[in-house]
Amino acid sequence: MARLFDRSLSVDVCACGVSHGQGFACAEEAPRDGTGELGQAVNEAAIRAVFPQAATRRAMLTTFGAGTLLAAIEGFLPLQNAREAMAQATGAPEKRDLKIGFIPITCATPIIMADPMGFYRRHGLNVEVIRTAGWAVIRDRSIAREFDAAHMLAPMPVAMSLGVGVAAPIPWAVAAVENINGQAITLANKHRDKRNPADWRGFRFAVPFDFSIHNYLLRAYVAEAGIDPDRDIQIRSVPPPEMVANLRADNIDGFLGPDPFNQRAVFDGVGFIHLLTKELWDGHPCCAFAVPRSMIQETPNTFAALLRAIVEATVHSNAQANRREVAAAISGPNYLNQPLTVVEQVLTGTFADGLGQVRRVPDRIGFDPFPWHSMAIWILTQMRRWGQLTREVDYRAVAEQTFLALDAGRAMRELGIPVPDTTMRSVTILGKTFDPTQPEAYLASQTIRRN
Amino acid sequence: MNTQVSAWRAALLSLTILALFLGAWEIAVIPPAATGPALDPEYAALLGQAAAQGQQTPIPPPSAIAVRLVELLSDPFHQRGTNDQGIGIQIAWSLWRVMAGFLLAAAVAIPLGFVIGMSPLLNAALNPFIQVLRPVSPLAWMPLALYTIQDSSISSIFVIFICSVWPMLLNTAFGVASVRREWLNVARTLEAGRWRTAMRVILPAAAPTILTGMRISIGIAWLVIVAAEMLVGGTGIGYWVWNQWNNLSIADIVIAILMIGLVGLALDRLLGLIASAVAWQE
Amino acid sequence: MGNKIVSVEGIARRFPGLTVFQDVWFGVERGEFVCLVGHSGCGKTTILNILAGLDEPSGGVVLVDGREITGPSLDRAVIFQGHALMPWLTAEQNVAFAVSCRNPSWPKHRVGDAAREALSRVGLTSAADRKPSQLSGGMKQRVGIARALSVAPKLLLMDEPFSALDALTRGSLQEEVSRLVTDAGQTAFMITHDVDEAILLADRILLMTNGPEARVAEVVHNHLPRPRTRADLHHMAGYHPLRDHIMDFLITRSRSLAGAAPADYDARNPPAVHLGG
Repeated sequence: MARLFDRSLSVDVCACGVSHGQGFACAEEAPRDGTGELGQAVNEAAIRAVFPQAATRRAMLTTFGAGTLLAAIEGFLPLQNAREAMAQATGAPEKRDLKIGFIPITCATPIIMADPMGFYRRHGLNVEVIRTAGWAVIRDRSIAREFDAAHMLAPMPVAMSLGVGVAAPIPWAVAAVENINGQAITLANKHRDKRNPADWRGFRFAVPFDFSIHNYLLRAYVAEAGIDPDRDIQIRSVPPPEMVANLRADNIDGFLGPDPFNQRAVFDGVGFIHLLTKELWDGHPCCAFAVPRSMIQETPNTFAALLRAIVEATVHSNAQANRREVAAAISGPNYLNQPLTVVEQVLTGTFADGLGQVRRVPDRIGFDPFPWHSMAIWILTQMRRWGQLTREVDYRAVAEQTFLALDAGRAMRELGIPVPDTTMRSVTILGKTFDPTQPEAYLASQTIRRN
Repeated sequence: MNTQVSAWRAALLSLTILALFLGAWEIAVIPPAATGPALDPEYAALLGQAAAQGQQTPIPPPSAIAVRLVELLSDPFHQRGTNDQGIGIQIAWSLWRVMAGFLLAAAVAIPLGFVIGMSPLLNAALNPFIQVLRPVSPLAWMPLALYTIQDSSISSIFVIFICSVWPMLLNTAFGVASVRREWLNVARTLEAGRWRTAMRVILPAAAPTILTGMRISIGIAWLVIVAAEMLVGGTGIGYWVWNQWNNLSIADIVIAILMIGLVGLALDRLLGLIASAVAWQE
Repeated sequence: MGNKIVSVEGIARRFPGLTVFQDVWFGVERGEFVCLVGHSGCGKTTILNILAGLDEPSGGVVLVDGREITGPSLDRAVIFQGHALMPWLTAEQNVAFAVSCRNPSWPKHRVGDAAREALSRVGLTSAADRKPSQLSGGMKQRVGIARALSVAPKLLLMDEPFSALDALTRGSLQEEVSRLVTDAGQTAFMITHDVDEAILLADRILLMTNGPEARVAEVVHNHLPRPRTRADLHHMAGYHPLRDHIMDFLITRSRSLAGAAPADYDARNPPAVHLGG
């Protein structure tokens, strides 16, 4: 978080001169020149250098605001160059030995395959990828700094920064999206004839976590069919491997969960794939490569190198030609620990659907690192919709601080990957258009909601 | 009537029961003949063996488990990556944590139990706390530990400590408080002094009860570590179970259960040996 | 009078609503063997515990060698009714424990020698390395005796030491104790309800009335000559009157005299009777 002041000062006055809640930095984050968080670090250093006395600095910021001060400073210091150089961050990483936690699902493919396929090494990092027991544990171990970075569900850093579901707000960010699509709604075999969600009254569903795209997509999907997800069906949080076991034991009727467990359900003759989430929102974010915001200030070179490695791995995984090789690299006991054919079916998109058909959907799962701000805004609207977030928020500000589109874009540009020229785009979700610049209107248009 | 049981006959009966059980299991999981229309061969190739025949993947039979057991035991100490280590290594990790937590618990419980046993006032004062904390499950302590200690390995050891400290504490207190008055009087009339009385009279007198407490505690500690490792993961036999659960590999889980049971048995036997060394008869 | 080791002066034991005994006075002279005889409930075990320092009187004092006692002491060794041996130690180790308590600075081998010597005095050399569970009742009590004597106490206190044994063992142990105590000139105080035992062992026998409000009704001086053996005792002239007198007391007078003392009763000087001479 971009705090310039010691905690010993009680007022939360930051570089922007406006007081704001913990977990978030100023509204005027991320310089508009596209240098992102790394560029912001330069701004802070500059203001500190010019006003070394904390009391004076605070007084100046309160009176003039950060923007004015920076403009003045830029008159005699070449901050633009410094920001560019900082964002390049081709300096040697401060810390080479890193630990990254992951959950063994295909969403984390880039994080995982970067190990055996050498992407971390290529960027001068010695990374140990550690298989973790569950989302809560990965969150706790990340907060405890046992992990330097982690595989998280995309809404988790948003929730953590807002202080939802954690004891105190703690600034976390999505540095890159791991995968898009790649989930499915799987139902028990006995529901072969119940393909219409309107018939799902009384069903019990499982999702991996409360703060997950799975939860939001499932709720949105059934809500479209007129089912109230809190009243007409049951939704439980269940760890993904237990989803298949629960389906088999008839504890749940279906789940919206990550692969390879949808495919595993088919493989074990327990269920069938009703719907790929790609059909609900093509290009929806799922899992993320998440870092604490402090990493960007404390070890900027490491952050930059790691981000480059991840982005490169993500793009490599996305190429259809590489999918088989990637599947072979990650399905062994050290990583996913699943039968090779299950992982292959997920990554290549040629799969058995559990109803007797072989389907071919090559982009069943995609790997696209760009963390669109519009994704974050949709997540926020859904958090508000279902009462997970009860206060008003500045959608744009939160999105900018939790989905680091500018930094990811920078890394992509350096690797020669085409970068979108905006961070916001309208998308079609469940047949309706979502305009990220009008979140409140979108929220108001949803008929079934809690607030 | 011959009340002495011949060890051979008991062993024979045990083996027969086991053979019957395993035999019944082997037969019970044989899948019935394939049902339903023939499947497209390309489709069938993408499914597991049972699903290709219209069934659900069954629980593996004992024969399959035996094969897997041999496989695992043939290379128990392999290390092919952070997340892929042999079952021998996982058990070693769990044992290390159990020992650390258990010994720490003993180091706290036995002296504290001693003091409580000798002071009825302290006994009455501390009893409410003990009774409230004792029944708390390790699964409830773990999140609290992770939150405050913030290190998953130390948290596991702490959880073992907090769950295994109670039997030793209570048994030590009880053992110390129930030392025969007579022996204490002997020590008094011999002007033995507090330390000498504690070490030479009370401790040996209470030792069998203390050892019973320790035996119960080691059982609990072993139980707890498996649960704790399933929650936290990383290394250990509990983590291994969770990992195989992820892969829905029932054979491995059954083997893990067997290993857990055998190690638990060994630990109990070990403490039983120590207990018989300090036992006394009137 | 001047040779008194122990002087019991006016001790009492009271509980709320109950007086077990009060105003009890007696003394034990150096080398003397005193027995206290009475029924259960007269407080004789309590008196012994007070003498041992294991219990505190509700009133009065006990002086040993002119100094008031404040608790248990090695000078007043106890032989308990149940042998009170520590079952995790061998016979030798049990005695050695006492020896090392008395002589904390002695090295191990010296302690061991003294322990074995004490055991040999009670004839248990062969059983030195056995644990109490491997010894008979009589042998266990002998170890207890050895233990008490090994600390060379000023006063040997015995709490019905033979009552838990069978009749035959009792007999041989009584003689042994008699020999050990008189040979060494050991001062001893014993409580018992066995008349023959008292006559065999004691120089003076204190007769206590029944409780509550028990008192020393009489002091019987036993003038039967020593050495006394079980075989010859009942042949000695003066034996039967002595025995009858004590039996009468135990059967009849302990009860009839129970309760408040008569007006002319002097607690410091209970009536004395000389018999057996």
